[in-house]
Amino acid sequence: MATAPLLRLVLVVSCIGSSMAVLFSSLPNTLTVTASPAAGQVLHAGVDQIKVSWKLNQSTPASADSGYKKVKVLLCYAPVSQADRGWRKTDDHLKKDKTCQFKVTTQPYSSGGGSFVYTVERSVPTGTYFVRAYALDSSDTEVAYGQTTNAAKTANLFDVVGITGRHASLDVAAGCFSAFSILALVFFFVVEKRKAKK
Amino acid sequence: MAEGVGEPGSSMHGVTGREPTLAFETSPSVPTDATVKFALPVDSEHKAKAFKLFSFANPHMRTFHLSWISFFTCFVSTFAAAPLVPIIRDNLNLTKGDIGNAGVASVSGAIFSRLMMGAVCDLLGPRYGCAFLIMLSAPTVFCMSLVSSAGGYIAMRFLIGFSLATFVSCQYWMSTMFNSQIIGLANGTAAGWGNMGGGATQLIMPLVYDVIRKAGATPFMAWRIAFFIPGLMHIIMGILVLVLGQDLPDGNLGALQKKGDVAKDKFSKVLWYAVTNYRTWIFVLLYGYSMGVELSTDNVIAEYFYDRFDLNLRTAGIIAACFGMANLVARPFGGFASDFGARRYGMRARLWNLWILQTLGGAFCLWLGRANSLPVSIFAMVCFSICAQAACGATFGIIPFISRRSLGIISGMTGAGGNFGSGLTQLLFFTSTKYSTATGLSLMGVMIMACTLPVAFVHFPQWGSMFLPPSSDAEKSTEEHYYVSEWSKAEREKGMHQPSLKFAENSRSERGKRYVESAPAPPDTSPSNV
Repeated sequence: MATAPLLRLVLVVSCIGSSMAVLFSSLPNTLTVTASPAAGQVLHAGVDQIKVSWKLNQSTPASADSGYKKVKVLLCYAPVSQADRGWRKTDDHLKKDKTCQFKVTTQPYSSGGGSFVYTVERSVPTGTYFVRAYALDSSDTEVAYGQTTNAAKTANLFDVVGITGRHASLDVAAGCFSAFSILALVFFFVVEKRKAKK
Repeated sequence: MAEGVGEPGSSMHGVTGREPTLAFETSPSVPTDATVKFALPVDSEHKAKAFKLFSFANPHMRTFHLSWISFFTCFVSTFAAAPLVPIIRDNLNLTKGDIGNAGVASVSGAIFSRLMMGAVCDLLGPRYGCAFLIMLSAPTVFCMSLVSSAGGYIAMRFLIGFSLATFVSCQYWMSTMFNSQIIGLANGTAAGWGNMGGGATQLIMPLVYDVIRKAGATPFMAWRIAFFIPGLMHIIMGILVLVLGQDLPDGNLGALQKKGDVAKDKFSKVLWYAVTNYRTWIFVLLYGYSMGVELSTDNVIAEYFYDRFDLNLRTAGIIAACFGMANLVARPFGGFASDFGARRYGMRARLWNLWILQTLGGAFCLWLGRANSLPVSIFAMVCFSICAQAACGATFGIIPFISRRSLGIISGMTGAGGNFGSGLTQLLFFTSTKYSTATGLSLMGVMIMACTLPVAFVHFPQWGSMFLPPSSDAEKSTEEHYYVSEWSKAEREKGMHQPSLKFAENSRSERGKRYVESAPAPPDTSPSNV
């Protein structure tokens, strides 16, 4: 049924994947990325903003960025938010890596660096995060990176408090339907008992 | 077989009979009561003698549809969270341990509620038993929309899981409406189609979620709104059962409780004979590894496909649904294969059939965990589902023969064993971060194969076992000796063992083709085999 197009899709994806298996450990850390939240600051999803800026490292030779065409900035989970959660696991193969699941922005690269103001989306869950930027070449493959934290991902992390998803209208509706269910049952039961007595 | 409704141990009677699974009509030996006008031919108790699947005629077929759809609804709501876990786990900041514990909780509640439901049906009748359960569990489904922590999530899944006891009211209700010769098919179909709810929910919930998202809600709100659908289904089915249903073909609940023509058996005795029969415990274990693993897989499979193969929620749900939906034909097939083998080789064929199906299920589960590509994974999953569900059907092809006196309790204990096995496998393999879900599935496959081996120890002196022939002792190798030994001398003097004698005679066909060639039936019996 749905397996034939799925099979074709899997074959296509695996062909692309195998020819472009980029390993994170192979990427040079040539970008300096800074984000506005201070270490340990708490941001609220949907409300607060993060200002991200990136530029080439001082120590990197200026010609290193000749292949950089775009910059992709992502919001990434810190290790404490990955613990006991296999669906956020870090994998050296970038295609399989689940550390960075939220796109902040993708912009053309300019040698003077760039910045972006990001309002934390309402789909971002509660957790501890850092910001990472990948430099992409013309075929959208990652060729370099930079991040706001250190290599062990322990420094300069900030927290996001996600929305609850609850709303007063939901609470009221749930309460009303629940009450209706119980009352309807009691009503039927009492009415039938009365009819049986007659 | 005696038609006593309301005696202890008979609440579950007819869970599936030894009657041929595909018999759509009773044999001509059951007299029709021609004095009453029902849409279907009825016997002297006004129970239907025929089973017309696409009819909604009152009261028999209407009962069938009301009860299987109620059971289906409860399966939908119990497993409704499973396909939405990828969203819920982020909203509530759940760890793998929380998700696994919630899965265990969702199947554990039913262990107790199923055991109590028999008594509730005896007291209030199956119609109110079903309606009470389904309408009192509706608030728990709505309250799922309000949870904001791991503790709340686990608690709600536990409470919603209680509604799986509608299985008991469903089977009980059918046994008041259908003659015992076709109750096997009727109950097997209702059970299988109800179980399909575990598959349908994997389709329904992501679809509803997508629609709500498209209407503009954020993910963390959309999943909460989606839970109103199963909640509303509970209320609608509850009202339909109350308005359209009736307890008995003639409609009177009072008559149910006045039925005194069957000698009431003592509960403690019935329990004793269930508990001291070693075969009961083997089947409690076995059902945990056919039905139990089916429930566990319902809980983990959508999340597994979502994470392992990077599918979106809808696609993962569609694949996961294929697992549960196979119940439509797989469970009846297991019963059919059991009956088919028994025609030639008797009980030994039933035991081999069960062992083969369940072990193959374990092998396919092992393969599912090891499969690295999506198409192979889906194929392994489909094979696993067919084998596990057929094994469920095959299990209930044997259970009616373990005991005649304690059939109800043994069926209830087996059902509870299924839920217990589900909780255990989820706790062992899908809660700890030591194993990935893929490894958990493989280990579960190995455990299935290991825990199916005890079926080789099930030995009936009159029919044999997988490897041993029947007993050569002339006295012990009769069906009468086996079934009458459940009654004490005092009870036999009172004649309480008569239904067991009749059953023993009916069960002689479990010897297989040998029976046809062996001793002629005693002269005073009437043909009651189909």
